[in-house]
Amino acid sequence: MTKLYNDPADFRAELIEGFVAAYGRLVKRVPNASGVMAVDAPQPGKVALVIGGGSGHYPAFCGYVGPGLATAAVMGNIFTAPSAEQIYRVTKAVASQAGVLYCYGNYSGDVLNFDMAELRCQDEGIDARTVRVTDDVASAPRGQEDERRGIAGDFFVFKIAGASAARGDSLDEVERLARKANQRTRSFGVAFAGCTLPGQTAPLFTVAPGQMELGLGVHGEPGIQSSHMRPAREVADLLLATLLSDAPPRGGASVAVLLNGLGSTQYEELFVLYKDIHRRLLAEGLQPTQPIVAEMVTSLDMAGCSLTLCWLDDELTRLLNAPCASAAYTHA
Amino acid sequence: MENAAKGAESVVRRWLAYALESMVVHEQELGRLDAVAGDGDHGATMVRGLRAAHTAAKEANGSAGDLLVAAGAAFADAGGGASGALLGALITTVGRALSDGPYNLTTTTTALQAGLATVTRLGKAQPGDKTLIDALQPFVDALAGQPADTPLIVAWRTALPAAEAGVAATQTMVAKRGRAAKLGERSFGHPDPGAVSLTYLLQAMSTVWDENHPS
Repeated sequence: MTKLYNDPADFRAELIEGFVAAYGRLVKRVPNASGVMAVDAPQPGKVALVIGGGSGHYPAFCGYVGPGLATAAVMGNIFTAPSAEQIYRVTKAVASQAGVLYCYGNYSGDVLNFDMAELRCQDEGIDARTVRVTDDVASAPRGQEDERRGIAGDFFVFKIAGASAARGDSLDEVERLARKANQRTRSFGVAFAGCTLPGQTAPLFTVAPGQMELGLGVHGEPGIQSSHMRPAREVADLLLATLLSDAPPRGGASVAVLLNGLGSTQYEELFVLYKDIHRRLLAEGLQPTQPIVAEMVTSLDMAGCSLTLCWLDDELTRLLNAPCASAAYTHA
Repeated sequence: MENAAKGAESVVRRWLAYALESMVVHEQELGRLDAVAGDGDHGATMVRGLRAAHTAAKEANGSAGDLLVAAGAAFADAGGGASGALLGALITTVGRALSDGPYNLTTTTTALQAGLATVTRLGKAQPGDKTLIDALQPFVDALAGQPADTPLIVAWRTALPAAEAGVAATQTMVAKRGRAAKLGERSFGHPDPGAVSLTYLLQAMSTVWDENHPS
């Protein structure tokens, strides 16, 4: 249950105001738009990485804005894509001659609105392009990877694109690296309990006691299959086996790992789960690189977690290790 | 003629007022329908969008077509998401096509056909994909199938059952576009929330005319 709110209709505006008040050292409000931008934006000559999506997923998306990561985030209402108008305004505030890369999870509402904004910017002579994140293996089978939705894998794609933009790469190069990161990223999740929208009294969906839902979406969309609840080590096996059976071709032996909490699953439970994931990765001959065990893409107060692997190579590793500062993730 | 045009502006404003009222009444129902295979925000998006559209049409000047253009832009911006973008574009396209009038069955049918084409192009959905198109297309066809000299009010009322039948038909469809498509089979047995809310919008226009011409 979402408990802290005033008028549910004001949730987005109030959370943006509070976020900027708290993290003014990293971000600033985009004037007259529903979004935030890095304190050092706009940066002449550098590609602007503009991310965004609905609210309800913190730290996605405003929590990733800051030097070395995303240039700006456009924030929609809860679980609702931002409008093309808001995306356009945020783009205008941060765009440079070097161009703009839009990066966001693949959902029809986001695609429609970002595409409309992209066309409008291109008409005005801004070189705007798009890479959609499609990491959720539960949302479409192999061979239809482009149809998949984006979940926690957002983070690795944003981090790599942001680092590439920050070091001054061309738009061609930032786009290539973002696309490559996405092609090498896979996620799969489980949910133990649904989430409740602010102002609502009933959850969006429920999970029967003793059950878990496999393949949930971050908007509380029901999973693709129900299963009985299992011990943590079996959940670890299930998550990992699903991802490994969907590994990208020529993946290599080094993987970035994100074990993501969905909103109301305890960090300590996640560590219990991660113990077995880490062991099992090593047993498979894979080397976990800078693992993250944290809430990185949530779904309000949903209980559950997702596992993301990004198969690295040298150029992706360099970008993953590059310094950045944001409310959700800082790497010195 | 001037009076008729003024009448049309008033119809647009009152349509938005009734549509908003109807959507507030149905907000929870639309949310529940959307939660079956989506994210449960459709009712909230519709209310938010219509509130802004209603205000925009009240404050805008110009012809009925101009008011619709302003309302569509406001709907898209405040609504957000796929529904905001698609319905906003639909209302704006219809407004542009209607422009300064005249407002009769022929011009309205042409404008709605243009709107349907815009929604189809943007949303990349086909009839049968379980979207608002499954209500809009039969309605537009039913308008087009009537003699050109039919009064718009009569034609509109005659066509409404086609939209309602379209909504009913979505119950046995499996979603192929939009977020619901990711859940495939789960949407079977429930009508598409977008088709349902579109039909409320069409019914609201009928309410405006009922008020003017009680039968």
